[in-house]
Amino acid sequence: MGNMKIKAKADGEIVKAKVMAKHEMLTYDGAKKKGKEANFITHIVGKVGEAVVFEMSSSQFLSKNPLFKFTFKGKKGDELTMTWVDLKGDTKTESKKIK
Amino acid sequence: MNRRKFLGLGIAAAALVPATLSAVDFRKEKPDTWTAKSVDDAVKALYGDAKAEASEKITLKTPKVASNGGAIPVTIKTDIEAKSVALFQDINPESAVCAWTVPEGGVVNYSTKIKMKGSGKLTVIVEGKDGKFYSKTNDLEVALGGCEG
Repeated sequence: MGNMKIKAKADGEIVKAKVMAKHEMLTYDGAKKKGKEANFITHIVGKVGEAVVFEMSSSQFLSKNPLFKFTFKGKKGDELTMTWVDLKGDTKTESKKIK
Repeated sequence: MNRRKFLGLGIAAAALVPATLSAVDFRKEKPDTWTAKSVDDAVKALYGDAKAEASEKITLKTPKVASNGGAIPVTIKTDIEAKSVALFQDINPESAVCAWTVPEGGVVNYSTKIKMKGSGKLTVIVEGKDGKFYSKTNDLEVALGGCEG
C-alpha cells in the first residue's frame, strides 16, 4: 500500500482512471547532482482481468510522482490492476475496484 | 548506428520479451529510442522511416506557459484508430518522453505530467492502424526548468 493511488470511476461503458505512482523519477542529470543513481519508472501496465487496458513505456522525463490519466471500456465492479517496473527492476502492483 | 546493427538489436530484444506478455515494452524492443538526442532520431528509432503527416485530429493539450517545468500536464486525445502513441520533446538531453501502446478497443485519451528543462517543442506521433503516421506539435514555454530536481 501507498505506492500507488488509483481512482477508477465508471460512467456507463467508459471507465475513467487516474493513477498516481509514488516514485522519485530521478533523471540522469538530477541523480548526478544528488550523488544518487538514476531511477525512474520505465514501464507501466493496467489490466482488468487478463485484458490490458493501459500500457506505457516511459523515460526519465515524467514528473516526480507521475500522474497517469486514461480511459477505457469497462464496467463497475471490475478490478483494475496497475503494475510498474522501474530502471532498477523493482516492481509494484496495486489493484482497485472500479466504482 | 547502422541499419543492420539496429535490426539485429531489435530481433535480440524481441526474443527476450516473454511470450505471456501481450504487451509491448518499447524500452526493450526499441532501446535506441530512449537514448536518441533529437526528435527526428528518436522517431526514426521507434518507427523506422515513417513520414508523419500533421493532423488536426490529434489534440495535444498543454499549458501555454508552464510555471513549473518539473510537472507539466499534457493531454493527448485522438479519434484516429491508433496502434501506439508516442510523445517527444526537443529540449531535454534525450528526446523520447513516453510511448503508449493502445490496446484493442482502447480509447486514446491520455494525460500525464512531464519534466522539461526549458521552453521547447512537444511532438506527438500517432501510429494508426492503417499503417500511417500522424503528428502534432505544440510550442511550450517553461518559466522554470524542472530537470534539475
